[in-house]
Order: sequence, then C-alpha cells, then structure tokens
Amino acid sequence: MKSTVRRRALGTSVALMGLVLGVRLGGNLATAAEPVPPRQAAAEVDRLLNEEVFRVNPATQLAPRSNDEIFLRRIYLDLVGEHPSPAEISAFALDPSTDKRAALVDRLIDDPRYGRNWARYWRDVIMYRRTAEQALASAAAAEKYLTEQFNRNVGWDEIAAAFVTASGSVFENGQTSLYMAQGADPNDVASEVSRIFLGIQIQCAQCHDHPTDRWKREQFHELAAFFPRVGLRRAGFAAQMPSITLEGNDSAPLVRRGMGTFGTGSQEHFMPDLKDPSSPGKQMTPVFFANGKQLSSGSTDADRRSSLAEWLTAVDNPWFAKAFVNRVWSELVGEGFYEPIDDLGPDRTPSAPQTLDYLAAQFAASGYDVKRLFRTILRTAAYGRESRSRRAPDQPPFTANVAQRLRADQLYDVFASLMGYDPDAGMPQTPNPLQRFNNGARGQFNLLFGYDPSARREDLTTTIPQALTLMNSQLINRVVSARTPSTDLSKLIQAGKDDESIVLELYLLCLAREPNEAEYAACLEHLKSTPDRAAGCEDLLWSLLNSKEFLYRR
Amino acid sequence: MDSQLSHSVRLTAHRRGGVGRRDFLRTLLPVAGAAAGWQLPTSGGYRDVLGLHAAELQQRGKACIVLWMQGGPSQLETFDPKPGHANGGETKAIDTNVAGIQLADNLPHLATVADRLAVVRSLTGREGEHQRATYLMHTSYLPGGGVRYPSLGSVVASEIKQPNCELPPYVRFGGGRNQAIAGGGLLGTTFDPFIVNVAGRSPENTTPTTEPTRFRDRLQLAARLQSASGMSDVDEHRRLYEQASQMIMSPHMQAFDTQQESTEVRESYGTSSFGAACLAARRLVERGVSFVEVELNGWDTHDNNFVRVGALCKQMDQPFAALLKDLGSRGLLDSTLVVWMGEFGRTPRINPRGGRDHFPRAFSAALAGGGIRGGQVLGSTEAGGDAVKDRPVSELDLFRTIYQSLGINAKKENMSSIGRPIKIVDGGEPVTELFG
Repeated sequence: MKSTVRRRALGTSVALMGLVLGVRLGGNLATAAEPVPPRQAAAEVDRLLNEEVFRVNPATQLAPRSNDEIFLRRIYLDLVGEHPSPAEISAFALDPSTDKRAALVDRLIDDPRYGRNWARYWRDVIMYRRTAEQALASAAAAEKYLTEQFNRNVGWDEIAAAFVTASGSVFENGQTSLYMAQGADPNDVASEVSRIFLGIQIQCAQCHDHPTDRWKREQFHELAAFFPRVGLRRAGFAAQMPSITLEGNDSAPLVRRGMGTFGTGSQEHFMPDLKDPSSPGKQMTPVFFANGKQLSSGSTDADRRSSLAEWLTAVDNPWFAKAFVNRVWSELVGEGFYEPIDDLGPDRTPSAPQTLDYLAAQFAASGYDVKRLFRTILRTAAYGRESRSRRAPDQPPFTANVAQRLRADQLYDVFASLMGYDPDAGMPQTPNPLQRFNNGARGQFNLLFGYDPSARREDLTTTIPQALTLMNSQLINRVVSARTPSTDLSKLIQAGKDDESIVLELYLLCLAREPNEAEYAACLEHLKSTPDRAAGCEDLLWSLLNSKEFLYRR
Repeated sequence: MDSQLSHSVRLTAHRRGGVGRRDFLRTLLPVAGAAAGWQLPTSGGYRDVLGLHAAELQQRGKACIVLWMQGGPSQLETFDPKPGHANGGETKAIDTNVAGIQLADNLPHLATVADRLAVVRSLTGREGEHQRATYLMHTSYLPGGGVRYPSLGSVVASEIKQPNCELPPYVRFGGGRNQAIAGGGLLGTTFDPFIVNVAGRSPENTTPTTEPTRFRDRLQLAARLQSASGMSDVDEHRRLYEQASQMIMSPHMQAFDTQQESTEVRESYGTSSFGAACLAARRLVERGVSFVEVELNGWDTHDNNFVRVGALCKQMDQPFAALLKDLGSRGLLDSTLVVWMGEFGRTPRINPRGGRDHFPRAFSAALAGGGIRGGQVLGSTEAGGDAVKDRPVSELDLFRTIYQSLGINAKKENMSSIGRPIKIVDGGEPVTELFG
C-alpha cells in the first residue's frame, strides 16, 4: 500500500497546508493509543450520552430496558439477519445467567450468517445508487467478497482500500462492484467513494460550488482526477460467461462513449468549462480534499488509486471512522448521529458529538475492527432500550431504540424458513450473472421489498404492491399452506398439537415472541369458530405475516 | 421441530405461573371480541359488477398515456420515412387524412387519424445507450450525481393524482425490469408505478387466494390481532391495508379487465397484447388514473430492420389509432395527452445486416390530445435523415411540453434526500407551436 509518489515542490507545500486544513475541517479524533475492551467502551458511551444529551435536556425520558423476547429478535435480526428459532427463544428466556445478552452477542457475531447479513447490507449500499442495471451482475460477487471479509473480521480500512484499488473480473472480484455500479465514470465513482466511505456528499459540487457546505467545484474534480485511467472492458464471452473486467490503463484508458460504445479516453481528468461546454475544460491534478495531499499529473493509475486508498483510510482522516460508526450506530440504535446517515459535513453538528468522537476514536485505534465496534454498541444501554416511534426534532435523541424495517433478504429468509425451503434453491441455472441475480426468487422478491439502506428511514413505508404481495401472492399462499408437507404449519398440525400450542408456535415463528393474553383469546376464538381447523390455522399465520410487527424489528 | 415445540410449551406453562388457560380465556374473550376491526368495504360481494355512474366518470382531471417503444424505434419506418433516398430502404410513404402529411406505409391506421397527431421529426438527444437513454427519456436527466430522479409518471402522479381515485395513480404495463428507471426516485416509493405484466385481466396479486368471505375474515382477524398486540404506530399500516384491500375489492378494478368492453370496441384495438394494454389504459384514465405507460418492447433492430419493424408496427399502429379515436369519441382526448416515444431513433444508414443502429441525433416522437393541435408536423430532418434540418427539439423541450400540457410547473423544485433542490426539468422550453 505504500505509494511511490513523486511530489513536486509545489505539491508538497500544498499537501502540508492541506494537513493543517484537514484538521480544522474534520476535527481531529482524540486518538486513543489503545482501545479499551467493548464492555468498558460501552459504559463510556452511555456515560457520555448521559452527560451531553440526557442530563442537559429536561425533556429526557429514557425508555426502559427491553425484555428478553424483544432483545432476542432484535439481536438476531441485527447480527445474523434471521429470526431465532422457537427453541432458541425458549432457551434464552429460561437462561438465568446475568450476562446472557453479552454472551449471545459473542456467539452470534462469530456465526457465519453475520458476515452474510452485513455483506448484503453493504451490497445494497453500493447497488442502490447504480447508474446502470447491468451493474447488478456484480452484486453476487460483492456479497460473496464482503461476507468473507466480515466473517474474517478484516479491518474496514483494508476493505475500503480493496474497493478503491480493485481490478479484474467484475463477476469474480466483488471489490470491483463500486466501479461497476457507476460504470467506472470518474465523476460518479468519486461521488460514491466520498459518500460511502466518508459520508461526504461532495458530488453536489460537481457542477457548482456546494450551496451549503464549503466544498468547491475544483475539489470535487480533483477527487475525480484519481480515476480517469480506470475503466471497464468487455472481453466478450468465455465459456458462455460474459466477461467484463475492471482495468487500469496508463496509455489508453477505456471510457464509455456517447453512442453506447467503448473507446479510448484521456489519461487525465478535466473539469468542464461551464461557460463553454464544448471545450475540453481544465485539466485537474489528483488532490484529496480531506487532507490536501496531492499527486502530480501523469501519475500512474496504480499510484493514484493506492495513494487515495491510503489517504482515505489514514487515522488522520476523521471522516473515515465517523462515517462507518455513524452508519452502524444508526442501523443498530435506529437513529444516526448525523441524518441522513451519509451526509456528515463538514459544517453539520452531530446530535451527540462527544459520543460519536469517542466511538470513532476507539474504532480507529482498534485498527477499524468491525466486530469490536459491533460488540461495543450492542453492549450499550442505548441499544438495549425498548423501541419507540421516531422522535420529534425537539425531543432528545437516543432515549429509546427505534424500530427498523426488515430488509428484503431478511424477510425472504423468514418466508423460506416457514416454507421449509432452502431459500436459494431453484436459482436459475443460467451462467449469466445478471440473469441469475434478477431472475431468482430472491432477486424478484428484493426488487419489490428492497430499499436503499442510505434512505431516510422515516420515508420508508409499505407500498401497495408490497401489501398485495403479502396478502395475495402465490408465495404467501405457499408459506401459509397447511397442506404442503414441508411447511412449518403443516408439521405442527401433523404433530397433533392442540390449538394453544399452535397459536404459541405461530407467534414464535413469525414474531419471535409469545402472544399476549388478548392475542391468545382472539386466536383461539378464531380457531373455535372455523369449522376447518387447518384453514383456521392458515388464517392465523396469514394475519401475523400481514401485521406491521412482522415487517419491523422492534 | 418436535423438541422445539415441547420447549416452548413448557416455557408457556412456566411463564403463566399456573394460571389455567380456561380461566384466562373466560376473562379475556369479551375484551378481545370488542377489538376494533379494520374498516372494510361493505358493499355487496367481492369486486361487485356495478356499472359506473356518469358522475363517477367525471371525477377526473388531466391524464397522460405514454406509449413507450423500448429499444429505440426507427423513425424512418414510422413517422419520418425517406422514400427515394438510399437511407429510406424499402419503406414507402403513404398519404394521410391531412393533406401534405405522409407517414411510413407501416402505419395505415394512424394515417386515418393524422388530424389528431402532432408529429415531431426534429427530436435530438444526447444519449445512445439503452439504459441511460431510457432513464433520460423517463426523467429528463442522465443517471448520476447521486440523485435518484423521479420518472415522468411519478411526477405526474405526485402533482395531479385524483384524491378520490381508488386505483393507483401511475400504472405501467410491462417492463418490471425497468422499475428502477421508471420509479418514484426522490419522491419515494409511493410514486413507483403499479406494474401490470399481462394486460387485459386482473393484475398480479389483486385477486385473493381465498374465497371473498374468507378474505374478509382474514382482514378482520389481522386487524383484531394487531390491535390486541398493543403495538403503537400502526395507523399508517392499517390505512395502507385499507387502501389496498379497498382497491382490489373496488368495482373500479374492472378497468383492468378489457373483457368488459363490447366485442366491437375490443376488435377496434386489434388482437395484440399491446392493444389490450392500450384499451386498459383508456379504461383506467376514464376512471381517474393520472398516468399510464404502455410498453412495446423489441425495437432494437440492429438486423433485419424492415421485417422486424413491420411486425412491430402491426402490433402498434391499429391500437394507437384506436386509442385516439376512442378517447376522442368519449370526450377524453382534450384532457388526455398521448405520447409515443422511445429512448432514441435509428441510424439512417442501413448496416450490412439490413439493420439500423442507435441514433439519438435526429429522431421522431408523436403527440396527441391534451391541448396539442393535431394535423401538424413539427421540424424536419435532412434529406437522408442524418441531422435535424429545422426546429430542433431537445428531450428537455419535449418534457417541458408534456408538463405544460398537463398543467404541471416543470420548474418546481423537489428536495433530494440531502436537501438538494432538484427541478422537475432543468432547462429546455415548451414547444409552443404544438399547442392550440
């Protein structure tokens, strides 16, 4: 990763100035030399929140600690993306030990489903901003790559660097997916690298100086100048597989041309002249806006991208740690320090600055240890509280957890489990990765139920087509069927369970909790009044799958 | 599964602390029975066959139907034939019911309604790749910049949807794959299209898998359980289910069922599924739907252009003409804008495989209704079709024209997720000659 950069005299002095500037812009992290253990860090987070938010705000009313059932479903969905089984629910409820929540976190974070769950999350972060549908062809590779990295607990800096310096087949090397999603266009890649890894929406400065932040148009195009020499190359079909590779090319970079063809581009990036759009514009040298470091024009593609990867992930770049912490905290606690979660600054104030700084500093000091960050946040009282509705702007943040909508993959896995199916069985056998991704039952389901993880969650609502699918689709009909031998429901009936046991089991399977007494009463009454018992059971299951609670983790 | 079951049952007994199940049932049944149900449609049976009253039919405002020719339709074989020039190939031109206006011989039915059509022959675009051009011709923006631009249909739905219409404001026939392109974008999923894959009958998932009475029972049970759960914040979910269930049980859903039309009307639209979708589009607009897009795929004729375009025109020509006549005879054409377009045109020069390639520089679109003056041709191309000769119309101008026809302020700004103002159309001018 060491870059061999020849800096000119001017470049060096600009870089030095930039270092000073960078500190002022991002606010330096109070770098911790050694990270403290998650238990201790979690306690410090709660102390800081109390000090800077709750104690100074008279409107603070902390939600109570969630009960075991709510916590269990929450932690399962948050870590492994699936429901706990009825047996796991029972075991957890009956476990008398006092540290069982922390022990559960430790167990689940080493479950291979953890990596897959978060890989799918980041796959969506990248793919939902794709500028061409063909990019979905690299989605499966992205998921596979990220699953391995998260499960091996590779540092976030290494993962980010791999995405920035990626090359090779877009179907085999998942790191290439960010370029693939943006058609390797330097402007669009620059926007996404900044948004995803730094939480900075510098693309607003693409056409004019940023209206509210201080980024200048030049700074955006200086970032884009790291990417002019990397392009996608279509290398025809090999063994029925379309072959597309991401390649750096220092003599004749590949670019997309207007008429849907690929051609040779410029070795340097040019900022368009707004007054004269037909002129080539101004040639830009690569400069990283966050620290002011720069390369000379003429630098190789390898130098450009490896330097950027190094500067992007350096501990002196506070945005890198903050952007990740803000996202993970937001997913787990339900609200980010900054919202939208990918718009951090530079002139915005987070809702609990000391807490965020502390978590970011711990994260950086740990070598961007992702599992450690999860362990820390999941141990906080802030995470463990009952959930409430999203707060009004004048109410203090983090007094409760906030219910999160299940992601499409999570819903699909619950359905598959209720059907007694391997969720990915019956995947189309076509060698074309795009068709495989789109046409599988999971792909179709994701098309309807998926959402951009960076979208404001308060804007996410169930849509009519989703409701119609949950009510009337063949999928739901199969899930609730008491007559198909593989379904959980038909197994329960075959096992000769009485009404009350069936009601209990259905609640455990769908909502991972016991029914309350009013629910028991309503369900048993329904079963009693329905002549066809199996049909009555199907009605119950259908009703639970069409509840709001099923679609959200509380 | 068995061992899990016994675990759970033991757990229940343990938790209940010895309260017998009969006891608590006796106590709680009346309470649970009084739980409020969802408000359900009360009229007759499921999807009653009711005639629509004239008053209901009048509860609609402006509307737009886009006939979307996916793949890039050849202008030379449709609205801008070049007989007598080498580029024209074997396509001939025919006279229409408007003196001086000729169309390609693939369009005999449209030739009889040219007095209602405004043909734009001088459209000029900036993108020649399918996905990007499709995005451009749906949103007026090229993809990128981190903004998910809303499609034309989504903007129309959000601006002028009829508040009391039980049907979705934006319906799209075909093209599930283009969901990301033709979606609500920054306006939110509320304004995504309601996609119908097969025209002519009930859309997917709008028919319950159970008997109507059992479906109602299920809705009531679900409502009762939801209120028994004590969960807060369920109002929006409840309203959505009311809306969705009301929609599918609404007599207005018959709009999708073209079998309700007389044989004569159905036959006037021809036998293609595109024709069935055009007829359904008319029925939807009649019932207050604001935007319908009907897709006809297959125009990417890199080879065998003349045969393939001829076959596509056979599917498209008659329904398009029938739609204009039908809207006209029902007094709907003044308030309904019909737009025929694709993502780009095709190269005037015929390639060695008898095909035409992508060509955004000079191509055609056709408009009718919605205040557009029919019987006119706007702009022209050079003799060989290689470039616009006069009155160039950019895609921005086209979008401005569409929004002007629908009474929508195209300069209005919507906010992106990060608070960046995004104009509905950024630039261009309405083509004023097309109106009046």
